[in-house]
Amino acid sequence: MMHCASCREPFHGSPLICAACGAVQSSGVEAPDYFQVFGLERRLGVDVAALEREFHRLSRRLHPDRFARATAEEQQNSLRATALLNDAWRVLRDPVERVEYLLKIEGHAVGEEHAGKARSAERQPPADLLEEVFELNMQLEEIRMSRKMGETADASVLAELRTAGERFEAMLDELDQALTAESTKWDAGKGQARAGAAARMIELLDRRRYLWNLVREVREALGAAA
Amino acid sequence: MAYSDKVVDHYNNPRNVGTLDKSSGEVGTGLVGAPECGDVMRLQIRVNPETQVIEEAKFKTFGCGSAIASSSLATEWVKGKTVAEALEIKNTDIVKELALPPVKIHCSVLAEDAIRAAIGDWKKKNGVAEAEAVATH
Repeated sequence: MMHCASCREPFHGSPLICAACGAVQSSGVEAPDYFQVFGLERRLGVDVAALEREFHRLSRRLHPDRFARATAEEQQNSLRATALLNDAWRVLRDPVERVEYLLKIEGHAVGEEHAGKARSAERQPPADLLEEVFELNMQLEEIRMSRKMGETADASVLAELRTAGERFEAMLDELDQALTAESTKWDAGKGQARAGAAARMIELLDRRRYLWNLVREVREALGAAA
Repeated sequence: MAYSDKVVDHYNNPRNVGTLDKSSGEVGTGLVGAPECGDVMRLQIRVNPETQVIEEAKFKTFGCGSAIASSSLATEWVKGKTVAEALEIKNTDIVKELALPPVKIHCSVLAEDAIRAAIGDWKKKNGVAEAEAVATH
């Protein structure tokens, strides 16, 4: 149980600021994780509207302006707590970043942290997805090249790109739904069931990076052409 | 993060960018992806059927500077080597040559995987047994 460093009351909710005495906490030995920042349990299902209200409430209470006449240490604490609160909000409000973050603090290697830990050969996406990703990248490059040369991209090429883009957006939607389903399983499960959900989420996140790179680039290319 | 001079050089002047005829029996194609970042890399080799020497290598990579440099370097290194020699190239050699930082090590892994995939494809086309028989001459 964490206690306020100032009045020794145990925390209810966020440990950044004491609900009892209003003291902003100094950087302890162990910084709270992003869920703890909001006084939340480690769960993937988050009520984002409630999270936002809590973010604004804590932001106001921690705001450095309120500590303009406080001691240097209290000002430092307010700055640090505000920065931590902002980081926590940015990550937890996004369902995908939330999953990546939770897996990380649960001790799983995610994203670039995979490097060296697992051979990428063992985690290759399906060959047909890779082919499609590669082909679409070639098309995108062609469009960018012709634009560089001052030519307008061919209408048929753009139409093809639009169709491909829609297909990839649909794949991304489907994947995000699967990710939500696994998140629910993770929240509800224990032991084996939870480990299984975590493994499937890591796999989904791996595939998502290919799709997301492409979707972003297709949106960019189509946006520039419009 | 700053790239090393060698990465910048390969990025600005990539060697052997291009395509070989995928349907040719002498050509092996490796297409691999990095789940860490979503980069994709295609590496192709053309092998002399008599000598098993890789006479030509081409690549095309969609990804960061380190991924492009790793695959560019890989094509340079496999050229002139026999298939068996090329399989001995390790990602750690690429890391050393390009001075890749830890977060970019997976780019070198991807390049090594691409070499293996290309050789694997070539072996499959030509029959692994036959390939090994020639290699042990």
